[in-house]
Amino acid sequence: MIGFILRRLLQLLPVLLIASTGIWAMIYAVPGSPVAAMVGENATVEQIQEVTVRLGLDRPVHVQYASWLVNAVQGDFGLSIQNREPVRNLIAQRIPATLQLGLAATLVGLLLGIPVAVISALKPGSFVDRMLSGWSALALGVPTFWLGILLILLFAVQLRWLPSASNYVSILESPWQALRNILLPALTLGVYVSGIFARFLRASLLGELKADYVRTARSKGLPERDVVGRHVMRNALLPFVTIVGLMMANFIGGTVVTESVFTYPGLGRLLIQAISTRDYPLIQGCILFILVVFVLINLLVDVLYAYIDPRIDYG
Amino acid sequence: MTARARRSWGVITRVLSHKGALLSVLFLALMILTSLLARWILPFDALTQDYASILQAPGKVHWLGTDELGRDILARVVFGARTSLLTAAGAVTIAALVGVPIGLVAGFFGGWRDMLLMRFVDVLLSLPGILFAMALIAVLGRSQMAALVAVGITGIPSFARITRAQVLSLRKRDFVTAVEALGGSSGYNMFRTVLPNSWSPILVQVVILSSVAILIEASLAFLGIGIPPPTPSWGEMLRTGKSFLHDSPTYAVFPGLVLTFTILSLDTLGRTLGRVLEDRHEIADTPGTTP
Repeated sequence: MIGFILRRLLQLLPVLLIASTGIWAMIYAVPGSPVAAMVGENATVEQIQEVTVRLGLDRPVHVQYASWLVNAVQGDFGLSIQNREPVRNLIAQRIPATLQLGLAATLVGLLLGIPVAVISALKPGSFVDRMLSGWSALALGVPTFWLGILLILLFAVQLRWLPSASNYVSILESPWQALRNILLPALTLGVYVSGIFARFLRASLLGELKADYVRTARSKGLPERDVVGRHVMRNALLPFVTIVGLMMANFIGGTVVTESVFTYPGLGRLLIQAISTRDYPLIQGCILFILVVFVLINLLVDVLYAYIDPRIDYG
Repeated sequence: MTARARRSWGVITRVLSHKGALLSVLFLALMILTSLLARWILPFDALTQDYASILQAPGKVHWLGTDELGRDILARVVFGARTSLLTAAGAVTIAALVGVPIGLVAGFFGGWRDMLLMRFVDVLLSLPGILFAMALIAVLGRSQMAALVAVGITGIPSFARITRAQVLSLRKRDFVTAVEALGGSSGYNMFRTVLPNSWSPILVQVVILSSVAILIEASLAFLGIGIPPPTPSWGEMLRTGKSFLHDSPTYAVFPGLVLTFTILSLDTLGRTLGRVLEDRHEIADTPGTTP
């Protein structure tokens, strides 16, 4: 098992190295000079010089790369151009908000997706199945930002039940306020992932229902509820864990659009703000951080899957 | 009719016999037609501003109302279709032109080429698509070209993977090894023998990726980093419409509705096409019917 994890970690190295080199090289690919793009058109020569030195762009390229990489590995991405705070702190401040939204959305996705999958898998091809499959297709097809806008229109503008802009309130500090703020964004994202969850789990359930052990269980007179609940569900949930994990990995960076709809102060909005102000150290830090977390969660999911599925040989 | 034309016709009729796919085709055709003929059939164009009538609700003069600059929303939705469809077409072309050869070479030669190319694809795939597009726009600045390239690059991995899988399944078939034995060059074999037999999954991917491309383009525009204004774009309209939810609630409804229908239509069409082509292969692969 340890060997399996180590081998997977080693496989990650080239991916991370190539990606981080790309992210580092980004700043050199900016048409014109990145410094000029950052300080604006009316900057004086001294200002340009100051930013150039601060970013270390006056040193030889290989030295720049080496020092950037060494710092980045330690989680040090330099100072933000805009407010001169360490990029690391800016990112760290946003993590709880994105984490809370991601978890809430996953919860909504599971609550909506699992029943849809189970009901339609038990009666494949029926009217209910077709309706629910249509629902999944709709959940996947409706752009999250439009769904978010519709939810705001209904619950914030018309009914005035919930705020149209969501702040981050920790669920541990003030559960009620946190719930009021997180409900619409979580629903927006949750509906989308529920479509993915439902499609996947339905296919997985249908595959299991065809297996020999199901026929055996039925023929020995086991009630259908036990066949599904105690045998089929357990096996179908196994690959499902992977999908749930992958979606959570996606949420690290994938909440950008939803955060934008609800002006929610998460990691995604930090990145968008960084891009619109051309704050390159912050952009690099955000993207690299999101990438590393994404890749690590993927690894974790793989390991977890190998651990819970005895059929997988990780020797 | 040639055999090839007859086969294509058979696929088309079978796709259209699915109700969902037929509706999708009708919707897409209607949209393409109106956006092409917009100049002649719409009373307003997408850029004319009229400060005397801003943020109007849908009515007799402006059927879908007006935006914050008094521009006709219907016209902007229709012209926005052009932006979306052109971006999708351009992006999918980029993705296919890069992704298909990568998959072809990786699958055909295997070995170190396969390793190297697929590692590159894995890196691309290891980033969520929208994030990659955002990074690229951060570098290139905000422009129509940047949006196109950014969306295009996110589509490369799926083309590469699908083509590679298809090539791997064909690589050891007799008609491919025969060309090799007769001394056909690898290039000839790849492009003239293997590729023509790999079209169907690639075609399905083209349709499905168009819907993804439209969604990513709209998302970028919604985030304010897509195609710069005043070019009408559904994402951009939703972005501005969101600021006027109290004054003009319908503003943000219509562009989203058309966007959703477009995405759903392309997705339905792609999936139906995939199913029909798959069935056809199963029939073709049964002994006795192979030519």
